[in-house]
Amino acid sequence: MSLLLQLTINGLIAGSIYALVAAGFSLIYKTNKFMHFAHGAIVVVSAYILFFLFSTLGIPFFVGVILTLLFSCLVGLIVYRVVYLPLQKKKASNVILLIASLGLLILLENLVQLIFGADVKTINYLGIVKGLSIFGAIITPLQLVIIGVSIVLFVGLFYFMKKTKLGKDIRAVSDNRELAEVLGINYKRIASWSFVLGSLIAGIAGILIGLEQNLTPTMGTMLGIKGFTGAIIGGVASVPGSIIGSYLLGFAENYGIWFLPSGYKDAIAFVLLFLFLLFMPKGLFGKKKEGRE
Amino acid sequence: MIEAYLIHLLILIGIYSLLAVSLNLALGYTGLINFGHIAFFGIGAYVSTLLVMAGVPFLIGILVAGLFAGLFGYLLVLATRKLKGDYFAFATLGFAFVVYSLFLNLQSVTRGPLGISGIPKPSIFGLAINSNFSYLILVLVVVAISVFLISKIVKSPFGRLLQATRDDELALRVLGKNTSRIKYKAMIISAFFAGIAGSLFAHYITYIDPSSFYLGDVILILTIVILGGLATIRGSIIATFIILLIPELLRFLALPSSILGPLRQIIYAVILLGVLLYRPRGLFGGVDLE
Amino acid sequence: MIKIKNVSKHFGGVKAVNHCDFEIKKGKINALIGPNGSGKTTLFNVISNLLKSDSGEIYLDGEKISGIGDFKVSRLGISRTFQEVRFFRNLSIKDHLEIALREDDEQLFKGLFEKEIDFKERIQEVLDLVGLNKSLNTLAQDLSYGQKKLLDLAMAIIKPHKILMLDEPVAGVNPKLRKKIQEIFKTLNKKGETILIIEHDMNFIMGIADHVFVIDEGAIIAQGKPKAIQNNKKVLMAYLGE
Repeated sequence: MSLLLQLTINGLIAGSIYALVAAGFSLIYKTNKFMHFAHGAIVVVSAYILFFLFSTLGIPFFVGVILTLLFSCLVGLIVYRVVYLPLQKKKASNVILLIASLGLLILLENLVQLIFGADVKTINYLGIVKGLSIFGAIITPLQLVIIGVSIVLFVGLFYFMKKTKLGKDIRAVSDNRELAEVLGINYKRIASWSFVLGSLIAGIAGILIGLEQNLTPTMGTMLGIKGFTGAIIGGVASVPGSIIGSYLLGFAENYGIWFLPSGYKDAIAFVLLFLFLLFMPKGLFGKKKEGRE
Repeated sequence: MIEAYLIHLLILIGIYSLLAVSLNLALGYTGLINFGHIAFFGIGAYVSTLLVMAGVPFLIGILVAGLFAGLFGYLLVLATRKLKGDYFAFATLGFAFVVYSLFLNLQSVTRGPLGISGIPKPSIFGLAINSNFSYLILVLVVVAISVFLISKIVKSPFGRLLQATRDDELALRVLGKNTSRIKYKAMIISAFFAGIAGSLFAHYITYIDPSSFYLGDVILILTIVILGGLATIRGSIIATFIILLIPELLRFLALPSSILGPLRQIIYAVILLGVLLYRPRGLFGGVDLE
Repeated sequence: MIKIKNVSKHFGGVKAVNHCDFEIKKGKINALIGPNGSGKTTLFNVISNLLKSDSGEIYLDGEKISGIGDFKVSRLGISRTFQEVRFFRNLSIKDHLEIALREDDEQLFKGLFEKEIDFKERIQEVLDLVGLNKSLNTLAQDLSYGQKKLLDLAMAIIKPHKILMLDEPVAGVNPKLRKKIQEIFKTLNKKGETILIIEHDMNFIMGIADHVFVIDEGAIIAQGKPKAIQNNKKVLMAYLGE
């Protein structure tokens, strides 16, 4: 029984991490209608920025967090303005943008490796903390924070999209770009904001993951893949769907290794990604008509 | 000593140019946006390795490796036949990940992350190919024959249908052509030659593990094909020279390998982005990426 | 030659083709006319199997063709063009016509080692017929809109066929070229070709059609000789609306 609970909690933690990645990715896809595969790299870059500020420079932790988040937004914005926007101006297809995003992923990850080295780094803010025991299952305070922050963030995101002007503009642009532009919404501005916000969420993800796990330059690839898988499962154009899909992935992975050898954990994500792309590319909660080809 | 080094370089250029040309057949000529091409390379490498290590003659091993890869090409098209555009591309990437997973997890067969070492050098009709120079001859012969065949295909009436499929599949169907079958054939041939390249790779390096067939290498061949240009065999070969020579030139800078590794990848990524932004047709391509 | 029997096609709640029932006779120039959105192009798409009908059958010379698949219907003898020009951007005029002409080019191995056959004569014949005098090596993307329309027509003609189905062959085409295309149809008709055209240009239709079908809201409301149609009350109502 406590094993089941432990697996559920592990699933919840993993799901939260993936959902943080997926939410930003989905927000960007929804607004811009292409797959920004380099999103995982923004997560890694953020984690390393915090490492640099806090562990290397010794800047107070929460100041470092704020600076890191600002930096994440900046990187996201730059990536959009310098690479994607010029390509879009040349009427590049979604495939070209996808290839460009693969290039960006490799570029950013290797820049991180160049600057920081390939060895494993840790952000030693919390030190070794004993896990709390809940009905026989172990969970650390940080893991609780991860789950908590995720939930708060997602609720906040929900209200943001529903109530704020920017949120409504983003939804208008995702539903019908031409109509939104006719109504006076500046598409470029909204697109830029989507990258800023998406990357902000990626920054939060990077910070939490950086605290929870060790940092390696290539972790962005796997996180990105898991995030996308979650988004594809739930429906890549639906932010709530992507979040739910990510939690489902987290559970699938952790329950899955009850039956399979633990080495198969990543394989579960790959197989689910492939299966969903083949049989349910719009995801569980995707809209029927998306106007995409 | 310079000689030995040049021979080594030429062998790799030969192998990767075959890999690039075979990808261009599917991507540049037929418009099949296959990000999973590296999986065929890996399948060819593993199949050839396992067969030859079990005593099968090399010539049969390499052919079966190609056929096996071709089979997976068929399966890929079959699986993704209802997908279009970026969803199709993404699914092919997913396919590469699934195959990578198989390499990693079917440990009884592939030895997983440990990889397989001690892969024997080929022996053809009793003649052992155990010097690098003789291996270079082998590679040149195989690659020359393969590129010749691919070139014949793209110049034939069938090759014209490949390009028509890429340009407007619906218009081609309405002219009475079975474009589904055309796409299957294109992918199978593309995968076959990638598998052949994989076999050449395995028996040269004599050690393979799953990490050789993962995301970084996907970007590498994609960069080569895009740099060289779509639908040009010559472009892919020349681009392979350029891309593989770059890290060699970097060696002269006497940088530590911890810097060389990521620097090489950064240069590839910058080339890729640069071509997409400023010269989307690449060096010799006459076709826009769609 | 083509029998359409009780064919229907819905999209959600909309009945694009509604129990359509008529027959196209061999050797005549037939026109399909009707107000915008009446289902003409949908009907074309159903006949050429780009869409699957929800009910009914279609026969070509007695052979059932509904539901067999788009490229198969084409091989059985239906040549069609589209409202929008369709072409292969990176291929030349010669390539386009050879692809349309040949029925054996899908065979890979045969094509690899065969000697190059020269189709230039046949190709030039068709190009002269439609009046497209551009070098054979011109890339399709370098042609003007009118020239692309002629290329589409040439492809449809050179492809072995029993019937030519042309969707708005003169849409967006200048008056001079329009007249020229009218003459091309007359020449084709003299040769015994069966043609079915969708068009909005009434003068164009009246000048060449032997038989006119009028479709409105997915069903045939009238058919007959052009003069009779012009004076048909139901037809006038359909066009003028309620």
